Amino acid sequence: MVQISLPQNSKVKKGKYYKDKTGSKNLKKVNVYRWDPSTGENPRIDTYEVDMDNCPSKVLDILNKIKNEIDPTLAYRRSCAHGVCGSCAMNMGGKNGLACTKPHSEIDGDIDIYPLPHLKVKKDLIGDLDGLYKQYKSIEPWLKSSSKSEAVEIIQSKEDRAKLDGAYECIMCACCSTSCPSYWWNGDKYLGPAVLLQAYRWIIDSRDEERQARLKKVADELKLYRCHTILNCTSACPKGLNPAKAIAEIKKMLATANI
Amino acid sequence: MENKPPLSPHIQIYRWHISSLVSITHRITGIINFVGITFICIWSCLLLLGENNYEIIDLFFKSFLGKFIILGITWSFSFQILSEIRHLIMDLGYGFEPKIINITGLIVIFGSVILTVIFFTLGKTF
Repeated sequence: MVQISLPQNSKVKKGKYYKDKTGSKNLKKVNVYRWDPSTGENPRIDTYEVDMDNCPSKVLDILNKIKNEIDPTLAYRRSCAHGVCGSCAMNMGGKNGLACTKPHSEIDGDIDIYPLPHLKVKKDLIGDLDGLYKQYKSIEPWLKSSSKSEAVEIIQSKEDRAKLDGAYECIMCACCSTSCPSYWWNGDKYLGPAVLLQAYRWIIDSRDEERQARLKKVADELKLYRCHTILNCTSACPKGLNPAKAIAEIKKMLATANI
Repeated sequence: MENKPPLSPHIQIYRWHISSLVSITHRITGIINFVGITFICIWSCLLLLGENNYEIIDLFFKSFLGKFIILGITWSFSFQILSEIRHLIMDLGYGFEPKIINITGLIVIFGSVILTVIFFTLGKTF
């Protein structure tokens, strides 16, 4: 259901202020969402003054710098630092993206860093993505074909292979799903752009033999049609993919197919 | 002890894009149109009941509030028409490139104002 305001235990308070100790002239204020599960306190915004003269170009570099040099208690996910693993997805400057590929120069003024929107927070910038992974599992994201073809290679034409471009590159970072207001209000039922893009990826795979069943499964008022083409997903995707178009293609297939 | 996890901020912090702005306005104008059409129907029905009613309605529409409502409904209809055309095109699978999304969104926003002016002047002249 649509709920504009945050629950009482989620209201964000003002937190600590970490003054710069390096004496640098080139400072930037970085506001970071903090929540510590070991205390009963509400989440807070801590502000750090970061010396930008000795900081590489990406938002993740700022976070690393804070963790290494200012406040080691800060918690966030990161792994590859090259936009491949999708671990460091978060909300920076009001927009979802990967901290490792987002240049901090693109954000004017103070840099606000929050966890991905409308998730249960585990700690600081770490959101709980279990629900999304369960939904991902529900679309059965693997190749389904009859048993006899298991022994032989399934040939795919170049044209059919090209259909997967723009769908297989998804790294499941959840930037798109957590940018979607429909997913905020109906995330328990609506599959969301990330999972629907993957559903589409298996529906159009020429090697898959369960196309009809997959389409039938996804054709649901809540699972699919909660997409109202708000298009936040497409503008959020750090890999430049287009979940909104994939969802539109699924809708089109359902409108024209005879199921 | 584990404490109940908070919900991370969402609409409070997410930046508005042209596309999300057009989307929410589409919904709001939809509701305005629904109410507007009802009023237009009531108005037409009242005309059937006699001349006196016409004078009351005429007086109301000449007031500031009346003019505001007329202008508001005209804009609301204009916006809905353009936004609906945009949705039709998207339902056909076109116009999903980020650049095009912004361009069509801006066309809807500015086009609705232009259409309002056109409709309003047309209504005044005839």
